[in-house]
Amino acid sequence: MKNLIHNPLAFSGLIIIAIVLFIALFAPWLSPYDPNYIDIHSILLPPSLIHFMGTDGLGRDVFSRMLDGSRISLLVGFVAVGIATIIGTFLGAIAGFYRGYIDSIIMRFVDIMLSIPTFFLILAVIAFLTPSIWNIMIVIGLTSWMGVTRLIRAEFLSLSNREYILAAKAMGARDMRLILKHLLPNSLTPIIVSSVLGIASAVLTESGLSFLGLGVQAPQSSWGNILTDGKEYIQFAWWLSLFPGLAILITVLGYNLLGEGLRDLLDPKNKN
Amino acid sequence: MLHYLIKRLLWMIPMLIGISLISFFIMHLAPGDITASESAFNPKASEESRQKLRALYNLDKPLITQYNLWLKRIIKLDFGNSFASHQRPVLWEIKDTKGNISKGMIQEALPITLMINLIGLLIIFSTSIFLGVISAVNQNRWPDRLITIIVFIGFAIPGFWLALLLMYWTGVTHSWLPISGLHSAGYEKMGHLAQYTDLFKHLILPVFISSLGGLASISLYVRNGMLDVLQQEFITTARAKGLSENKVIYGHALRNTLLPLITIIGLSIPGLIGGSVIGESIFAISGMGKLFFDAVLMRDFPVIMGILTIGSVLTLFGNLIADIGYAWADPRIRRGISN
Repeated sequence: MKNLIHNPLAFSGLIIIAIVLFIALFAPWLSPYDPNYIDIHSILLPPSLIHFMGTDGLGRDVFSRMLDGSRISLLVGFVAVGIATIIGTFLGAIAGFYRGYIDSIIMRFVDIMLSIPTFFLILAVIAFLTPSIWNIMIVIGLTSWMGVTRLIRAEFLSLSNREYILAAKAMGARDMRLILKHLLPNSLTPIIVSSVLGIASAVLTESGLSFLGLGVQAPQSSWGNILTDGKEYIQFAWWLSLFPGLAILITVLGYNLLGEGLRDLLDPKNKN
Repeated sequence: MLHYLIKRLLWMIPMLIGISLISFFIMHLAPGDITASESAFNPKASEESRQKLRALYNLDKPLITQYNLWLKRIIKLDFGNSFASHQRPVLWEIKDTKGNISKGMIQEALPITLMINLIGLLIIFSTSIFLGVISAVNQNRWPDRLITIIVFIGFAIPGFWLALLLMYWTGVTHSWLPISGLHSAGYEKMGHLAQYTDLFKHLILPVFISSLGGLASISLYVRNGMLDVLQQEFITTARAKGLSENKVIYGHALRNTLLPLITIIGLSIPGLIGGSVIGESIFAISGMGKLFFDAVLMRDFPVIMGILTIGSVLTLFGNLIADIGYAWADPRIRRGISN
C-alpha cells in the first residue's frame, strides 16, 4: 500500500477509480433529477447551474443520465471481467497443472478463439440473441478469457517445479490442494493485473456497442448511447457528445493506469 | 525451413475446422431456429424467405448433417447469397444465365478494409518505433513522460468519440476534410492525380482513427522492450568495446527489440479487422466492418456467417505469414529449423 502511494501511475489510477466507484455506487443520491424524466419544455438546454451538463433531445438531464450510465459501465466491466477471469483461471490452471493432451486441447482452443476477430464474434452473437445488458456482459466475458488462460498456464508451468510445490507433492497433497492452496495464490499477480486492464477494455467495448445501438437499450442510459444521441445533435449540442466521451476516457485511463502501475509494483524484477 | 512451413500449413487444417465449428455453434445460439428469430425482428420477412433460409442451412435435417453440408459449401467457398441486398452473392461474383455479372459483397468490401489497415499498420510501425525509442533512451526524463502520457491517453480514448469530434471539427466547422465515404462526387471524371488526392483526403481521418490503439500499444511495447534489452550484458559489452551510443542503440538494442514485433503484427490482425466496424460505420466507408454491421442490423445471416469465417481465415493467414517472417528474421530459429 505504501508503495502504491509512491508510484505516481498506480496512485493516480487508484484515485480516478475510487471516484468513479463512489459516483456509480451513490448515483441515485447524487443525481439531481430522475435520469429518465422527459421534460419537453427544456429540450437541448446548454450546461447551466440548473442542468450541469445540459439536457438532451428529450429534455432529460444529461448529468443525471451520466451518473446513471456510470453504473452500467461499472456493472459491465466487473461482470464481464469476472466471467472472463473465472473461465480463464479455470482453463489455465487445468492446462498448466495437468499438461499433456489436456493442455494441448485447451491451448489449441485458445488459439482458435484468438483467431476470430473478437468484435465480429461479439456482434454476431448479439445478432442471433437480443441486445440486452446481460447478453452484452456475458458475450464480452465469453470472448475475452483467452489472455488470462495463457497467463495462468505459464505461471503454473513455471511454478510447478519449485521446491515448495515438489515438497507439498511429496507430502501427499492432492491435486485440488496443490492448485488452490499453493499454485493459485502465487499466481495472483497476473490475474489481478489482467483483470484491471480487462475492465478497461470491457468498458470501451460496451460503450462502442451501445454507440452502435447494439448494446444497452433505451431508455436505460449508458455513456455509449448518450453519445449516439450526441451524434444526432452534434451541430447544436456539443455537450451531448463531449461529456460521455470524456467520462469513458477518464474511466478507461484510470483502470489502465492502475493496471500498469500494479504490474510495475508487483513485478519481482522491480523490487527495491 | 521447408519442414517448418509444411508443419505450420498442416496445422491450419484443425484450426479451420475449429473456427467453422464455433461459427456453426453461434448460428444455433438463437432461441428456436434462426428463421424464427429473423421473422421476430423483421416483420417484413415472409414465409417464402423463411423457407429459403431453411433450405440454405438445411435446418430440417439433423445437426451433424447440417454441419457437414455447411462445411462442404464453405470448402467450395460457397457462402450463398445475401437475403437483404438484392440477393447478391456473399463472397465472389457470379455470372447469371444472361451474362450479367453481380459482384460479391466481400469481394468489394475486403480490399477497402485491407487498404485502410495496411496503411494504418505502416503508420503504426514507423511512428511507434520512433516514439518508443525516444521514450526508452530518455527514460524518466521529459520526452519519456510526455510520450507515456500520450500513449496512455491513446489507449483510453474511445475511437468513435474522437472520430465524431474530428469529423465535426475538420469537416463541418472548417470544411478541411471530407467527412464520409472514400470518394467525392464526380470522382470518375477527375484526372489521375486529382483522384489520388481525393482518396488521400478521404483516408486521413479513418486511417488515423484505426491506427490510434495500435500506435499506443506498440509504442509502449517498443519502449519496454528497449529498456529490457538495454540492461542485457551484450549491450554492456558493446559499450565497453567503445561503440558509439548510436550504434549501440540502433544497431544492437533496436534490432533485438523489433524481432518480436513481427509476431505482434500477426496478433493485431483480428483487432484491426474487428475494429473496422465502428470506424467504417462512422465514416460511411463500405468495407468489411460496415458490411458486417449492416448485416447484423438486417440479420442477413449468410453475410454474417461469410464475414465471420473469412475474417477468421484471414487472421490465420496473417499469423502464418508473421510466424514465417519471424522464423526467417531470427537466425536462432532459422538455423534451428534447418538443422
